[in-house]
Amino acid sequence: MLPLKDRLYRLALRITLNPAEAEDAVQDTLIRVWEHHDEWEEIESIEAYALTICRNISLDMAGRAGHGNVQLSTLSTDSQLPTLNSQLLPDERHEQKERIALVRKLMDTLPEVQRSIMELRDIEGKTYQEIGNILKLTESQVKVYLHRARTNIRQQAEKIEKYGL
Amino acid sequence: MDYKYIEQLLERYWACETSLQEEQILRTFFQQEEVPAHLMVYKPIFDVQQEQGEASLGEDFDARMLQLVEGETVKALPLGGAGNGAVWRRSWRPFYQAAGLVALILTIGLAAQQSFNETEKPQQAQYAQTDSMESPVQEITPLPEQQAALTIEQMDSMNLTR
Repeated sequence: MLPLKDRLYRLALRITLNPAEAEDAVQDTLIRVWEHHDEWEEIESIEAYALTICRNISLDMAGRAGHGNVQLSTLSTDSQLPTLNSQLLPDERHEQKERIALVRKLMDTLPEVQRSIMELRDIEGKTYQEIGNILKLTESQVKVYLHRARTNIRQQAEKIEKYGL
Repeated sequence: MDYKYIEQLLERYWACETSLQEEQILRTFFQQEEVPAHLMVYKPIFDVQQEQGEASLGEDFDARMLQLVEGETVKALPLGGAGNGAVWRRSWRPFYQAAGLVALILTIGLAAQQSFNETEKPQQAQYAQTDSMESPVQEITPLPEQQAALTIEQMDSMNLTR
């Protein structure tokens, strides 16, 4: 159970965009998985099962927190910040860090499904089949969502490169 | 240096045709210091993937989790052991509470009654002490019925001995 917690946490964080809420989601997930531990033998993959529960709990939490409107508005103001900072500190390494921060924010603005899939694929290294199991989608649906997410991030990254931060 | 392979991998990455291993190759490639300028654009994307993979829960999470779990299961585990039992017990909790409440009320009620009775007892003791007969003579001389019973008994014994 415990090796799972960081993976659950990252998924919850990707969905809720809030470390405290993500932590609560992981706690709730672990408790819920534990409560159903008499069914563990019937479940194909505990990890996928736990991730599915974690996603649902996180979605509930994110939904309660104002349908994501609040987060999006704060994000858009946040993404203005690097512009100011880059003028103050033209250091190359720092610029690189800002770009990473910016891409992270780009990821956060993606629709939840795309975000979750990107998290599971690019960060947790899951196969399309596993992701499909967790999100209750077919493999091709997963690919379509992931393709949209990657294309979006790519275009945004190229735009930033072209027009500067 | 030839970056054809990486470029090709990237194209396939955007099209979601890369395998997990190939995606790892891309991440490792972008991890190195020397990335050609025209590919620099995509470096942050893979850096984020690397960086986000390190995000984890704090050290104190386990402790808090244990605290949370102890509150829920320690009571149930030594008895039932299985989570099933814990769930069952939880669903019956209202009934236990009701039974406990009834028992408590009964105990209090009985105790109250007991103490109420005790306040009556001294009176009874007083009655035992006070004389109900008017004179000692009356007490000593047997009542007519007692006398009658005695005589019959005496007659019986006499008959038997005879």
